[in-house]
Amino acid sequence: MKFLRTLLLPLLLLCVTYPATSMAHGERAQMPQLRMRTVHWIDVQASTTKLAINEIVKIKGKFMPSEYWPHHVNSIEETAFLNIGVPGPSFVRLDSRVNGVPMIRSTSFHKGEVYDFEITLKARKVGRYHVHTVINVEGAGPMIGPGMWVEVTGDESTFQNTAKTLLGETIDLETYGLGNVMFWSALWFAVGLAWFVYWLTKCPIIVPRFKRTAELGFEADQLITPMDRRIGGIFLVLTLSLIVGGYGYAQEKWPITTPLQTGRIDIPPLDQPPTPISIKLIEARYRIPGRSFRMEFDVINGSDRPVTIGEFAAGNLRFINAKVLDVKAKDEHDLVASDALRVEGAPVAAGATQRVVIYADDAMWETERMTTMISSPDAVVAGMLSFFDDKGGRHLVEFGGPMIPDFGMVKG
Amino acid sequence: MKAIDNPASVSAGQHGLSSAIEQRKAYVQVDLLVIPLIVLLFMGIFSFHFALLVGDWDYWVDWRDRRWWPLVTPLALSVLPGVFGFLLWDKLRLPLGGTLTILCLTLAAWISRYLNFHIFADFPMNFVWPSTYIGLGLILDCMLLLTRSFFWTGLFGGFAFGLLIYPLNWSMLAPFQVPLELNGTMLTVADLMGYEYIRTAIPEYVRIIEESTLRTFGSAVTPLTAVFAGFLNILNYWFWLWIGYLGAKALWIRKIV
Repeated sequence: MKFLRTLLLPLLLLCVTYPATSMAHGERAQMPQLRMRTVHWIDVQASTTKLAINEIVKIKGKFMPSEYWPHHVNSIEETAFLNIGVPGPSFVRLDSRVNGVPMIRSTSFHKGEVYDFEITLKARKVGRYHVHTVINVEGAGPMIGPGMWVEVTGDESTFQNTAKTLLGETIDLETYGLGNVMFWSALWFAVGLAWFVYWLTKCPIIVPRFKRTAELGFEADQLITPMDRRIGGIFLVLTLSLIVGGYGYAQEKWPITTPLQTGRIDIPPLDQPPTPISIKLIEARYRIPGRSFRMEFDVINGSDRPVTIGEFAAGNLRFINAKVLDVKAKDEHDLVASDALRVEGAPVAAGATQRVVIYADDAMWETERMTTMISSPDAVVAGMLSFFDDKGGRHLVEFGGPMIPDFGMVKG
Repeated sequence: MKAIDNPASVSAGQHGLSSAIEQRKAYVQVDLLVIPLIVLLFMGIFSFHFALLVGDWDYWVDWRDRRWWPLVTPLALSVLPGVFGFLLWDKLRLPLGGTLTILCLTLAAWISRYLNFHIFADFPMNFVWPSTYIGLGLILDCMLLLTRSFFWTGLFGGFAFGLLIYPLNWSMLAPFQVPLELNGTMLTVADLMGYEYIRTAIPEYVRIIEESTLRTFGSAVTPLTAVFAGFLNILNYWFWLWIGYLGAKALWIRKIV
């Protein structure tokens, strides 16, 4: 008991009274292969990272379902939903679109297709939130995109969220219908409680009625008095009348209603030219001691300008070639390695086919738990390369293939 | 205290309760102890049971459709009224099983929605209010009291229990099924709330709601579901009464009481 009092109770109190802030959405818990081979998120950004209650933040960017989507994972080409990962309704989602089509309902996305998306959020609760884009895939779960910190300030009591019905009524979604719900709930609770209290008035109940019921056996119905039966009749009529009356009241007050809406949305593809760059993965080796990913490609440059690789992205990790791009992390959890991509054999001249080797070296492989890819039963990786020409034109090319781990045990 | 420690100190013919007044007082004390415990027990087990079997259909207003919610709910809701309804009637001749268990569920549901869903998770209360089922419990109890028969209670009460869930809740649900428009798409108020108040772990496709698959019956989805739920619930209620009967027969209960 003393142990309980001195250690466990204070611990319990601490847990209850000091809830720790949730810092992540489990993205690191997903298998690296799953992160690398499901959805590639491109140029995801927030319109602002500091806003007040009632102000708007837009999250926009592109995504591409991987061509190397694992066969054992339910496909994004079946049923999927563009979502946002925030702790509860700290924001309300006013709009979300993919290729300009409203994403109110579920849809399906094609592998290898690049989609534009934009999500409009309105700040509802004060706090600092790590906002992630998410695509939920039926049967597979959430495919989490990059996160960014967004801070909301101001007075929560001023939050407003209204909508206009097709009958012309403007409603406040924070409180709409609640008074009516509470009235009917309280009424039914009172009626039920009255029934319970009626039987409680026969107190003492348990022991005397138990003994009497046992004594009377098949004649135990004698315990029910004519008054009980009258009360039963009254309550039955009252209950049925309230149900019919309540139904009639609702029909009178809200004569026009529709069933809940569901169904699927189709998204037309973006009108975009095919990329003139094609690549073939020759070899991908992950060297564990150096946290270094070495990949060798044959690059076929079908464009009319020389190109080089500016970025390699995999599983929401971005490795930047500082000679081509200047990208800095937006916050302390932005998974950007600003100068971690080394490229050998580039640029690739226009019309040429050339062997290119890239090295993505950074501790992020370890800190983001990507190194567990070596223990996967399906050691296939995928990633996205951003090629840039000398005019700044960008071409996105996905690659994938088997990965060989290098444990650093073999010399030479 | 001494007498308990040393039974030999109680003389022959001496009882703990020496008069009818004392006996009544002791019986009242049993009631005062047991009835609140039963209420707490019902609140706990019924809310847990209901969360497992009905869950989202009762948590969110945008799950209460015309087809699944009125069908699934009575089947799960009849369990405790059936089992404990039998016990309370068979052992105490109290027609309270339906109303008392559902009152306890309702109380626990409101506490949980307010504290967990509204205060802790920040959802507006008008999005997460619990449905009401107390009227259904009253119908079962009144039927049992008036007919004094489990057969007729199951036949009429069990049927009404499944049939009336939708009309019973319509007075609260109707305003949430008023149509509106969002970006060229028609939605109900409930759909809009489900879209706007973000639930990261509950994407739209997770909702198990009507999907226009009762083609032959046109728009008569609600009455059709209600009648079907009613018929199904007759058997369901009888089944749980039988489980209560088995429970009442159990040796361990006889040993306790």
